[in-house]
Amino acid sequence: MKRGVCRLGAVLMAGFMAAAAGACGQEKFLEGNLAEEQENRIRSVLLFAPMEKSDPDNENVSRTAFDLTVGMAEEQLGVTVEYRTYTAENYQEKTYDEVALDRARNNMDDFYLLNPDTIQALGEEGKLADLSGLDCAKNLRDVVKTANTVDGKLVAIPQEVVVNGLFVNQDMFDKYHLELPNTPEEFLECCRVFKENGIETPVGANRWWLENFVLAQAYADLYNGDTTEEEIAALNSGEAKYSDYMRPGFEFLKEMIDKGYVDAEKAYVSEAIEGEGPDFLAQKTPIVMAYWGAANADTAYGKPDFQMKVIGFPSKRGQMPVVPLTGYGVSAKAEHMEDTMNVLDVILSDEALKVYTETNKVISPSKNVQVDCIDALKPLNDRVNENVYVLGSNASMKVEQWGNTCNIVRELLNGATVEECLAEFDRLQEESLKE
Amino acid sequence: MKIKQKKQKTGKGMSLIVSIVLIFCILGAFVFYVAGRISKEMSAAAIDNLSESLDLIRGTMEAILEKEAEYQKLITKELELMDAPEKLVQFYDGSETMVKLSLVPEGASQGITNKGEAFDPEELDFSAGRMVEDLPISESYINYMGAWAYTLKSPVVLKNQQTATLYIEYIYESFDKALPNRFYNSSASLYILDAESERLVLKPKGMGEREAGHVNLEDFYRANQILEADVKEEITKNVKAGKNVMFYHDIQGKRSLVYMWAVNDGSIYLIGYVPVESIQREGSAVNQNIFIVVLVMLIAFCICCALYFFTQRQRIRAAIEREKERELHNRQLAEALQAAQVASKSKTMFLSNMSHDIRTPMNAIVGFAVLLAKDADYPEKVREYTRKITASSQHLLSLINDVLDVSKIESGKVALTIGEFTLSNMVSSVDAIIRPAAKAKRQNFEVTVTGIKNERLVGDETRINQILINLLSNAVKYTQEEGNIWFRIIGLEQRSSQYEHIRIEVEDDGYGMTPEYLETIFDAFTRAENSTTNKVQGTGLGMAITKNIVELMGGTITVVSEIDKGSLFTVELELRIPEEQVDRNFWKEQGVSRILVVDDEEDICRNVQSLMEDTGVRTDTALSGEEGIRQVCRAGDQDEPYHVILLDWKMPGMDGIETARRIRAVVETHVPILFLTAYDWEELEKEDVQAEIDGFLAKPFFVSALKEKILEVHAVFDDRDQAVDNLETDSLEGCHFLVAEDNEINAEILMQLLEMEGADCEVTGDGQAALERFQNAAVGEFDAILMDVQMPVMNGYEATRAIRGLKREDAANVPIIAMTANAFAEDVKDAVDAGMNAHIAKPVDMGLFKKTVHQYIKRKE
Repeated sequence: MKRGVCRLGAVLMAGFMAAAAGACGQEKFLEGNLAEEQENRIRSVLLFAPMEKSDPDNENVSRTAFDLTVGMAEEQLGVTVEYRTYTAENYQEKTYDEVALDRARNNMDDFYLLNPDTIQALGEEGKLADLSGLDCAKNLRDVVKTANTVDGKLVAIPQEVVVNGLFVNQDMFDKYHLELPNTPEEFLECCRVFKENGIETPVGANRWWLENFVLAQAYADLYNGDTTEEEIAALNSGEAKYSDYMRPGFEFLKEMIDKGYVDAEKAYVSEAIEGEGPDFLAQKTPIVMAYWGAANADTAYGKPDFQMKVIGFPSKRGQMPVVPLTGYGVSAKAEHMEDTMNVLDVILSDEALKVYTETNKVISPSKNVQVDCIDALKPLNDRVNENVYVLGSNASMKVEQWGNTCNIVRELLNGATVEECLAEFDRLQEESLKE
Repeated sequence: MKIKQKKQKTGKGMSLIVSIVLIFCILGAFVFYVAGRISKEMSAAAIDNLSESLDLIRGTMEAILEKEAEYQKLITKELELMDAPEKLVQFYDGSETMVKLSLVPEGASQGITNKGEAFDPEELDFSAGRMVEDLPISESYINYMGAWAYTLKSPVVLKNQQTATLYIEYIYESFDKALPNRFYNSSASLYILDAESERLVLKPKGMGEREAGHVNLEDFYRANQILEADVKEEITKNVKAGKNVMFYHDIQGKRSLVYMWAVNDGSIYLIGYVPVESIQREGSAVNQNIFIVVLVMLIAFCICCALYFFTQRQRIRAAIEREKERELHNRQLAEALQAAQVASKSKTMFLSNMSHDIRTPMNAIVGFAVLLAKDADYPEKVREYTRKITASSQHLLSLINDVLDVSKIESGKVALTIGEFTLSNMVSSVDAIIRPAAKAKRQNFEVTVTGIKNERLVGDETRINQILINLLSNAVKYTQEEGNIWFRIIGLEQRSSQYEHIRIEVEDDGYGMTPEYLETIFDAFTRAENSTTNKVQGTGLGMAITKNIVELMGGTITVVSEIDKGSLFTVELELRIPEEQVDRNFWKEQGVSRILVVDDEEDICRNVQSLMEDTGVRTDTALSGEEGIRQVCRAGDQDEPYHVILLDWKMPGMDGIETARRIRAVVETHVPILFLTAYDWEELEKEDVQAEIDGFLAKPFFVSALKEKILEVHAVFDDRDQAVDNLETDSLEGCHFLVAEDNEINAEILMQLLEMEGADCEVTGDGQAALERFQNAAVGEFDAILMDVQMPVMNGYEATRAIRGLKREDAANVPIIAMTANAFAEDVKDAVDAGMNAHIAKPVDMGLFKKTVHQYIKRKE
C-alpha cells in the first residue's frame, strides 16, 4: 500500500515536472512575429495644438476632457495621437496662430486645433481637407457649419462651441452697489465707479481678447436681426463698410484706454489669462474677459474665492456673447490622412462629445448633446439659449474678422487712433474686393 | 495530576508557537534582506541601463549633427569649386533635414536663400560659440515652417581667402525619425532642450507627457515641482559645464529619476524623468514573485498546520469518544453484572420456590402412593388417596406447563395461532372455568359485555383465553371468600374500521397489592407473599406470561391496586374484524324478524337492542313480566307475533318462570322462549320450568350465542325423537386403536386407560412399526391411530405422512391423533401439518381424549 502511494506520488511529480518543462519550452513562433506587432502598435497621427503651461497644483479640465476623447479614439482605432505644441514666451515671439499657419502651410502635421482666423486663412488657401463627409458632421449645429464652411467645404469642427464673455466679480459689483452692465454706457459707468473707488484698472486685458468688445458692438444687430445674409452680402460686395460696423467698438475701446479703465501697455504684451488672471483672482480687477471653459478650468478661473458671474459683452442689444468658433482642421496633405479622419470621427462623435461636454461643462457642437452648466455661466448660457450672440468669425465674410480685428485692436493698444484702425479695415475690405 | 498534564501540554503548545513565529521572523528577515538586495542591484542595473539608453540617444543625435556638418562641408567644397555658387544654392530644393540654404558673400550684409529670398545673417545668434565638427551652430529658433530649427555656418574659401559664408538650416523634428518611439514603455518623458535658450525644442514621439505644455526649462521645473534652489543651481552649473545630470526627485507623487543628458558638448540636452518603479519593473516583478512564493509557502504551511491541528483534534476527540465508550462499556458491564447477579438471585429464589412448589405436590403423590400400597385393601381409602394423588399431579402439571411456557416466551419462540373466534364462546368458556371456582369460595362473579360491535373476531383465542383465565383465576385466588369479582369486556371507539378495539377489565375487592409489589408484578419468578396469601401456591410466572402475551398481540396491560381494597387489571387489545362478518340471511332463513326482551334492568334491554341493530331484527323490550305478556298479546292481535322471547329469571313482581308459563299459554309452541340469566343453569334446571322454557342464554348477551341457541332449539323442534344420549356417545366401548409409543410405561398406562373405557389397542414401538402394521391391517381394522411424536427409527410426523401417502382407501381418512408431551401450540400446528387430525398433550386427560376420539369416529360413521 505504502509503496503504491510512493509510486503514485512519483508519477504525479514526474508528470508535473514534464508539464512544467513543456511550458518552459514553449518559446515558439506560434504567437506571431512580435517585432511586426511592435510596428503596428506605434501607428500614430500628429496633432498640433496649443498647450497651456502646466500647473502642478491645478487640473486642466479641458485637457482632461480632450484626452478622454483621444483615449477613446486610441482604444477604438489602435492609433496613437502624438502632440506638437508651441507657446510663445513673449509678445515678440511668433504667436501660436502664426506657427500654426507656418506648419500647416508646410504640411508638418496631420491635423491642427485652429483659431477662427487661421481656419479661414488656411481654408481659403486650400490647405485644409473637407470634413463634411465625416459621420460626426451630420449632427453639428448650424452655427458651427456656418462659421467653418469655406468655399463650400467644412474645414474645421470644434469639440465645444467657444463662447466668450465677461467674467465679473459679483462681490465687488455688490460692494459698490453696481448692477451688471448691459450697454456700453452702463459698462463705462461701472468702470468709472470702480476707478473712483480706487480700482486702478477696472478691466483686466491681454493682447488677444479685447476684440470681443468691438465685435459685440459691431455685429449685435447684424446677427440678431432679420437681414444677416443681406448685410454680409453687402459687406462682401463693398456696398457696406466694415469700418462703419467697427467704429462704435473702437471708439468705446479708445475711451476705455483714455480713461485708464484698461492698461493698454500691459495688455499689448500680455498673454491670455497670464497677464490679467492673477489680478482678477486676487480681486484687484473686477472685470476680465475669457472663453466659456475658463470658468470650469482650475488652471484659469475655475476656483475663485468670490462670487463670479459670466455675462455677455455690452451692446445696444444688451449683454452679448461672442462666439469665435475654433475647430480641428485636417491638413489637405496629411501624411496619415485615413487614420486622422478616423480619429476625428471618434473624438467628434456624439458619444465622445457627451464625455467632453459633461467633463468640461461647455456647449456641445452636436445638436444631440445637452449638458447643464455651472451657476456662474448661467447668464451667458441663457443668452445663447435665446439665440442671442455674435459670431467671432464667419467664413462667409470675405474679410476675416477674428484675427484681423485682434491685430487692429493691438494697434489701438499700441497707440493708433480710431480712424487709423478703421482705415485698416477699409484697406482689408478693398483687398478682399480685388480677389 | 490532570491539571499538571494540561499545563505541560499548554507549555509545549506555546513553545511550538514561539518556535514557529521565530522561524517565520528569521525567514521574513531573510526574504526582506534578499528582496532589498535584489532591489538595490536591479536599481543599479536600471540606472546603468537608463544611462546606456540616454548615451545611445545622445550618440544618435551627435552622429546626425556630425553627418550634417560633414555634409555641409562637402557642399561648401563644391561651392568653392564653382564660379557662381549662388546659382547652386538657388538650385537646391530643400529636404526634410536641410530645410533652407543661404549664401552670404563675404562683406555683404545680406545673402540669398535657396528660395531666392533675402537672408540676413544677423537674425541668427552664434554668440554662444557652440560648434559641431568645427562648424558654429546657432541658437534654436522657430523657422518659417513653424518648427524649431538651428543653423550651421561654414566659410566658402577660395585660394585661402574666404569668399562667402554658407548657412544651412536644420529642423529638430528631423531627429524624430532617428529616435526610439517609446522610452520605458511610454512611462518616461524626454524632451530636447536647447541649452542656450533653455527652450524645449522637441518632444520626440511617444516620449513626453501628452498633457504637459512645457515651454522651457523653467516650465519643466515648475510643472514637475523641481523648485529647490540648490538643486536648480547645481543643475545650472553642470549644464553650463556640459555635464550630464541625473538625480532622484518626487514627480507627481512618484519617486523618479530626473536626467539631463548633454549632447554635442552641452549645446543640446536630453531632459526628462522616469518613475523609479518603471525602471525597476524587473526588480519589482522579482520581489513580487518572491513575496508570492513566500506567501504561497506560508499559506501552504498554515494549511498544513491547520490540517495537523485538525487531525490532532480529531484524534483527541476520537480518544475521548473511545474513553467514553469504554466507560459506557464498563458501566454496561457493571449493570450486566448486577443484572446477572439479580437474575442469579432470582433464579436461586426461583429454584428455591420451585423446589418447594414441586416437592410439595410430589410429597403428596409419593406419600399417598405409599399409603395406597399400605391401604390397598380399603377401597374407600384407595379412592381418597387416588383423588388426592390426582389433584397433586394436576397441580404439578400446571406448574411444569407454566415454567415451560414462560421460558418459551422469553426465548421468543412463541408464535400466535391466528384464527376466527366469537367473543361469546370465549366468554362462555372462561365463565365455565371461573364461575365454579368463584362459587366454591362463595364469591360473586359478574360478567358484563358492552359496546362490542363485532363479536366475531380474528386472533389467538387460546392465548386470549390464557390471559383471561390467568387474570380471573388470580382474582379468585387473591379475593377472600364472599368477595366480588367483575369481569367486563368493553368495546372502545374503533381507531380503524378493520379492527375492534376492546378493553378487558378484571376487578376484585380482594387483598390488593403493595406498591412495591406492583412494580415487579409482571416480572418472572415473583409472587406476592404475605400472611394472608402464603397458603396460595403458584409458580409466580402467570403475570409475566400474561404481559408477554398481551405485548405479543400488540396490546397493553395495566394494573391498579390498593392493599385490602382490591385490584383492577386492564387489558386493551385491537383485534381484526373478519371480512365477512354478518350473515344477514340467517334470520330470514330461521324465520325470525321480531323478538321481545323482558328484563327489569333497562341497561340489559338497551344492550340487546344495540347488539341486534345490525341484524335487521326488530327488538322490543319490556321491563317487567306483566308488560312482556301484554306486548306478546298485542303482537298476536296485530298478527305480528314475536318469533323469539328472551326472559330474565329473577324480576321483581312476576318472575321469569311465571312469565314464561303465561306467555307459553298464548304463543305457539314452536316460538322459542329462552331464559337470559346470569345464574347457574343447574339451579334453573331444578325449577320445574322445562315444559315452558326452550333453553338458556348466559348473560352477557351475545348475538352469536342467540343464533346458536336458535339453531339448537329449531333442531330440537325438528327432531325431538332423534335425540342422542350424550352419555352413550362418550363411551369408547368396542373401539380398536393402533398405538405408536416407544415408552413402555406410557404405553401400558394408555392400554389400561383404554381398557377401562372398554376399548382395546395394539401397541407398536416406533413410527416405522406403526406404518408397517397399518399397511398390513385390513381396511377399517383400526378406529384411530394414537401417535407419539418423538420415537426412534421414525418419528410420529414422518409416520403420519407415510400413512397418509399409502394407497389404501382408508389411508387418507383414518383418524390419527397425536399423543405427545410436546404440548405447545407450535406442536399442535406441526401435527396438523403432518396430516394428523388432532393433538392431545400428555399426561392424557381421558375426558378430552374421549371427546376428541368421538369427534372423529363419529365423522367417520
